[in-house]
Amino acid sequence: MLPVASLLILVPLIFAAVTFFAKTKEQAAGMGLLGSLVTLGLALYAYMNFDSSTAAMQFFESVEWIPSLGVSYTVGIDGISMPLILLNAIVIPLLVLYSWKEEREAPNRFYGLILTMQAAVIGVFVALDFFMFYIFWELTLIPLFFMVNIWGGEKRAHASYKFFIYTHVASLVMLLGIFGLFYAAWQQTGVPTFDIRELIAQFQFFESGMLRDAIFLAILFGFLAKIPTFPFHSWLPDAYSEAPTAGSVLFVLLKIGGYGLFRIILPMLPNTGSPNLIIAMMGLLGSVSILYGALLALRQKDLKRMIAYSSVSHMGYVTLGSAGLVALSVSGAMFQQFSHGLIMSILFMSAGAIHASAGTRIINELGGLARKMPKLAVIMMVGFMASLGLPGLTGFIAEFLVLTFSFVNLPGFVVIALLAIVITAGYHLWAMQRAMFGVYNEKLGDVKDINALQVFSMAVIALLVLYFGLNPSPVLDMMITNSEAIVSLAAAAGV
Amino acid sequence: MENLTLLAPELAIAVTGLFVLLAGIFMSPQAKNMLGYLATFGILGALGLTVGSFGTEAAMFSGTLSIDALSQFFKLVFLAVALLVSVAAIKYTEDSNHTEEFYALVLFATFGMMFVASANDLIVLFCAFELASLATYALAGYEKQNARSLEAAMKYFVIGSVSAALMLFGISFVYGATGTTSIPLIAANSGLLVNNPIGLVAVVLLIAGFGFKMALVPFHMWAPDTYQGSPSVVSALLAAGSKKMGFVAAFRLFIVALIALQPDWQLAFTILAVVTMTFGNVVAVAQTSVKRMLAYSSLAQAGYIAMAFVVMTPMALTGGILYALAHAFMKAGAFIAAAAVVWMVTSEKKGNLEVPDHLDSFKGLGKRMPLAAISMTIFVFALAGIPPTAGYMAKFVLFSSTIQAGLVWLAVIAILNSALSLFYYARLVKYMYFLPPDGEKVSTPFPYAMALLLAVAGVLVIGIWPEPFMQWAMEAAKVLV
Repeated sequence: MLPVASLLILVPLIFAAVTFFAKTKEQAAGMGLLGSLVTLGLALYAYMNFDSSTAAMQFFESVEWIPSLGVSYTVGIDGISMPLILLNAIVIPLLVLYSWKEEREAPNRFYGLILTMQAAVIGVFVALDFFMFYIFWELTLIPLFFMVNIWGGEKRAHASYKFFIYTHVASLVMLLGIFGLFYAAWQQTGVPTFDIRELIAQFQFFESGMLRDAIFLAILFGFLAKIPTFPFHSWLPDAYSEAPTAGSVLFVLLKIGGYGLFRIILPMLPNTGSPNLIIAMMGLLGSVSILYGALLALRQKDLKRMIAYSSVSHMGYVTLGSAGLVALSVSGAMFQQFSHGLIMSILFMSAGAIHASAGTRIINELGGLARKMPKLAVIMMVGFMASLGLPGLTGFIAEFLVLTFSFVNLPGFVVIALLAIVITAGYHLWAMQRAMFGVYNEKLGDVKDINALQVFSMAVIALLVLYFGLNPSPVLDMMITNSEAIVSLAAAAGV
Repeated sequence: MENLTLLAPELAIAVTGLFVLLAGIFMSPQAKNMLGYLATFGILGALGLTVGSFGTEAAMFSGTLSIDALSQFFKLVFLAVALLVSVAAIKYTEDSNHTEEFYALVLFATFGMMFVASANDLIVLFCAFELASLATYALAGYEKQNARSLEAAMKYFVIGSVSAALMLFGISFVYGATGTTSIPLIAANSGLLVNNPIGLVAVVLLIAGFGFKMALVPFHMWAPDTYQGSPSVVSALLAAGSKKMGFVAAFRLFIVALIALQPDWQLAFTILAVVTMTFGNVVAVAQTSVKRMLAYSSLAQAGYIAMAFVVMTPMALTGGILYALAHAFMKAGAFIAAAAVVWMVTSEKKGNLEVPDHLDSFKGLGKRMPLAAISMTIFVFALAGIPPTAGYMAKFVLFSSTIQAGLVWLAVIAILNSALSLFYYARLVKYMYFLPPDGEKVSTPFPYAMALLLAVAGVLVIGIWPEPFMQWAMEAAKVLV
């Protein structure tokens, strides 16, 4: 058996290091493709050998690292992390293909950063030691910062610094929470450890309720700001829309905030002082994000900014579904992470292609693009339909599960979220209609359709959206297994 | 008869220093270049001897010197800095006629610092402190034709002398009240200082005296001018080495000797630590001279280390001690990278010659001097506390200890400061990699390249494999509590 969990971090990291030294654009992109394809192979190997019927850790490895602090190198994969690893492994090689023909400065750094990002994100998903988890968590900031700062749009400096400082401060608050958890558990057991599962298990034995709440809220804040949930979302529209297309897609694949909810927050939740209050708060934040994000998306003039706000809205389902705390609502939230990653990749790739060939992303300046860009129009239509929740595509399954099953515990918040569904359909269709259909805007000149590689990469993602929309069980089953384990913990604690 | 082999590292440094000084008299200016290599070998030898003697514990010369984990650890810090400085200075002193003086002074300063690390008696401590200080005063003014260097030396000397006087005054009060200068005996008799105005006066004077060396606000006024005006390699010695001497002396004096007065000095250090880190970071944001920015960042870092006095748990002291080692590599490395850039600007004779370390000189450094740029990036990221570097490890241990002690407010202040510091560090990285270069590619001179690689190795090894360093730092912390 291969040590897949370690290899999934190491392979992209090594390829990233090699890519940084590439001399030509072809070398850089070639190394990027090769590295991401090997990673995809590893992820598929892990998936083939994965047992969906158990919530236990698989591909588990553990080695001592800093014994005096109880830090160890511990990695493993379970049903929470497997789909997200798969998502990253599938989209990154397609992203490399998508950007193959784009001209840009320093392609070696560009592809090197993409691979570094992949290693960091997968690192967060497989790390089972808080020390490692935090290192990878912070490591994700650096490639994204440079991505936006070097290759971003006009306001890239502002956007990159805002994103960096905002999420860095939130992560530091989370770090304080981790410190608290570490020392309280150390005092409890007399043995220092950073093992995530061990610390979560010890959490319930801390005597002081105030301490438990403080630790929990500090960690929760780090995750909510990363997802991001209203009212911590203000970094997102700037960062997503100023980033180059590849950067926006990397942002979309950065599902670590939601992952933290499932891995850390939900198992800790039942042992906080007032779990019901926290569930209500999360439900409120989730449903307000859904509605508020949709309302803001409706009034955006810039296509990419509209997609960014729609992302805030969609990620609200993750928070709401988690708070629903029923096995199927939590699975729905997990599936939303997976589905959202695929759908948003199509959307950002489409917006990037439009900007590249039409020279603008302002919706009112576009018009009738479908005539000149028929291939793009078809794929983009699939993405938009999936994003607005058309049955038969992945978005529908996720949102259906979240809304239906959160209704059990949080009916009020589901009603708020339901209000947003109409608006969501509205802004998607309205934008599509203005930008792609109708009379062609002759001012745009001669606009070219997307190239064959772009068609290929976007079409593959679109087909996956369709496939998993019709047959979600290959990933949904493992999510349900793990959700049941999480929910049964909560049920045991009487929440 | 004393067992002098215990002092082998110090003796190796002293002998090398004297030999370099004497040999220099008889050498032609060209041949003097080999003095740098000689000094480097001497330091390497001392480093080997120090590492080899880890674990020995002994008292020497009627208990005035103590060889223990704490002194060993700090000797390691000082020797590491001396090594980096002496390697880098091989290039810096290339065209100088006074190479032997430079190296002799570096070695004597290191010798003094090493004695401070093991001093267990206030008189020995003061003498060793002054030996190191006098040598560094002269080093700061090494560029006799350069007005800024002279200003740096003058300011450093005047304020340093006043501080030494305050320190001595404080020591005399302690002696007056307890009747001894031996640190363990003061600790044993410290009852005489408690609830005694003399004790309070002594603490105030001693904090002022040592605060100068540690460059804590408001005793820091000399630091930015001196770090900026001195030759960069000397700034490296001052910020990375000499500053740690202040800390090790303060550790022994306050935590061992004056532990009975803890409530008094702890309050003072709380205020000093918070003010120092905040002031240093805020002012660093506004700097355009990189050396000056590093000087202010050095203040901030001293503020972090001073948190060890506030928290006072074994974990916090371990963190503070580990931080001293980490900071030695990152700060010395950063100043040496600045030295390479200053060399580039002055040897090309174009650009901002008035302030050769101006941010503009770093434009496009990633293309002009790739090695210096990537090392500088690693150093500033380490200073900002980004994993997997020594700076991250040290911050991790130190900041986490504040949570352990329940001082959440202090942790929040420290962590916000740390986030703020990213602003100016990231700006430097931006200049090096995102702005177009002003000139041609320059190959980094071998000595600078060597010193930078050594420092990078130090920063990364401590960051990636911290276990042995953690163990040593824990042993060292045990000496204090």
